[in-house]
Amino acid sequence: MTKTKAIFGNFKRYWFLMTQLISRDFKKKYKRSVLGILWSLLNPILTMAVMAIVFSQMFKFKVEGVNYIVYLMTGIIMFNYFSQASNMAMTSVVENFTLINKVYIPKYIFPVAKCLFVGIDFLLTLIPWFAIIILSYVGLGEYTCHINWYYLLLPYIFFCMFLFTVGMGLLLSCISVFLRDVFHIYGIVLTLWNYLTPVFYSIEILPARLQTIMHFNPMYQFLTAARSIVLYGQRPSFTTLGILGLIGVGMLAIGAFVFKKKQDKFIYYV
Amino acid sequence: MINLEKVSMKFNLGIEKNFSMKQAFIDLFTKKKDKNNEEFWALTDVSFHVKKGEVVGLIGSNGAGKSTLLKIVSGVMKPTSGKVTVNGVISPMIELGAGFDPELNARENIYLNGAILGYSKKFIDEKFDEIVEFSELRDFLEVPVKNFSSGMTAKLAFSIATVVNPEILIVDEILSVGDIKFQEKSKKKMMDMINGGTTVLYVSHSLESIRDLCTKVVWLEHGKVIKMGETKKICDEYYKSQIG
Repeated sequence: MTKTKAIFGNFKRYWFLMTQLISRDFKKKYKRSVLGILWSLLNPILTMAVMAIVFSQMFKFKVEGVNYIVYLMTGIIMFNYFSQASNMAMTSVVENFTLINKVYIPKYIFPVAKCLFVGIDFLLTLIPWFAIIILSYVGLGEYTCHINWYYLLLPYIFFCMFLFTVGMGLLLSCISVFLRDVFHIYGIVLTLWNYLTPVFYSIEILPARLQTIMHFNPMYQFLTAARSIVLYGQRPSFTTLGILGLIGVGMLAIGAFVFKKKQDKFIYYV
Repeated sequence: MINLEKVSMKFNLGIEKNFSMKQAFIDLFTKKKDKNNEEFWALTDVSFHVKKGEVVGLIGSNGAGKSTLLKIVSGVMKPTSGKVTVNGVISPMIELGAGFDPELNARENIYLNGAILGYSKKFIDEKFDEIVEFSELRDFLEVPVKNFSSGMTAKLAFSIATVVNPEILIVDEILSVGDIKFQEKSKKKMMDMINGGTTVLYVSHSLESIRDLCTKVVWLEHGKVIKMGETKKICDEYYKSQIG
């Protein structure tokens, strides 16, 4: 009990630092760009346009019975969040070594701040995403989407994905301190993971055996839950929702455990 | 306030090299070095006590372990063995401006660095003008810190770090920042803090400033406490041993 209290007290004390780190990232990201934060909205729209043209026009990809553009976009924004946030979180501890070496700061702040920073970007991409869902009603793409009360479950799904990402971030940033090779490996892992997750294709085109294996891909679970609400108007089963929570909390627990265990050793590997 | 009991700190110098394919390959063809040679004890069995309001100077040649000791007291490092007890809020000034982001301007850096030192937003809002005034950089608030001269950066950092009234101040060789005018000003600020009852751990190679400020001196050499006690006596002995 006192331990939980201590963790939250710590969190509160360093919350201001967290906001400062996040706002620093924003300031640096949009420094000297004319459109500034508008890029966070424009970027997904333009990426989307490119992807939509490539996959639906050139490769003639489609997923039976649903609006392919929304199918694709849901996958892209969710997977992009995960890959960007976990990647930035991974490098965050090593990047801030000068600081860690000089002042006492709880080290978990850095990966968590990165996940939040990319998270804000993710929330902004939801605006064009939702706009496209609405546009599907006026004839963008072949099929329309569903808008219903189940949308209220989306924040829960995204939050579980956030926890999962933070867990990965903590784990990777910790390992990368001791083994910088992770920086190079993880980029390739992410590319592979991207293709192994049905972002632009449907799981049905895979052989049955691969389909079973796919269920062990956490990102597949997050994507499918969100898509079933938006594209099919179906509420994910309570079992599914429970599993999502478990994936999120479980990964966070693993990451936090490893990080906590090893963080006092970081200083030797500066 | 600060109590150190038999604090030892070991660094493994082998960490830096042994962990790569290249090194492993080289090792195949060369004789293994004695593993024990790669251990480096930065501190061995250091014990001392600092009472509230005391100003303790740490002296010793480069590599004696002074900075390591400060890092242990400020919580950046955990000692390999021994116990450190610190009662009170610490303001570490181990390296000024370590938390600056060169891309951000002075205004943004005041908030960022303040947050790193553990200040709250409200506190910085209140003290903002005081910091700017003391740093004499009002005209440069919107300039990115990367365009600052080293003196300007140090002045800004000093102003941020000393705006609090910490219970414990940890200072590593910083009184020589800025121009002469600012040096005098910063020295006066330090004296004010000391007179206000702040406990200080102070590292410097300037015996002059140690004599001026400290009530007690700890002399470290090769990670061990050689002597400690009254400022004048220890400083004289240290000076003699160094100049011989």
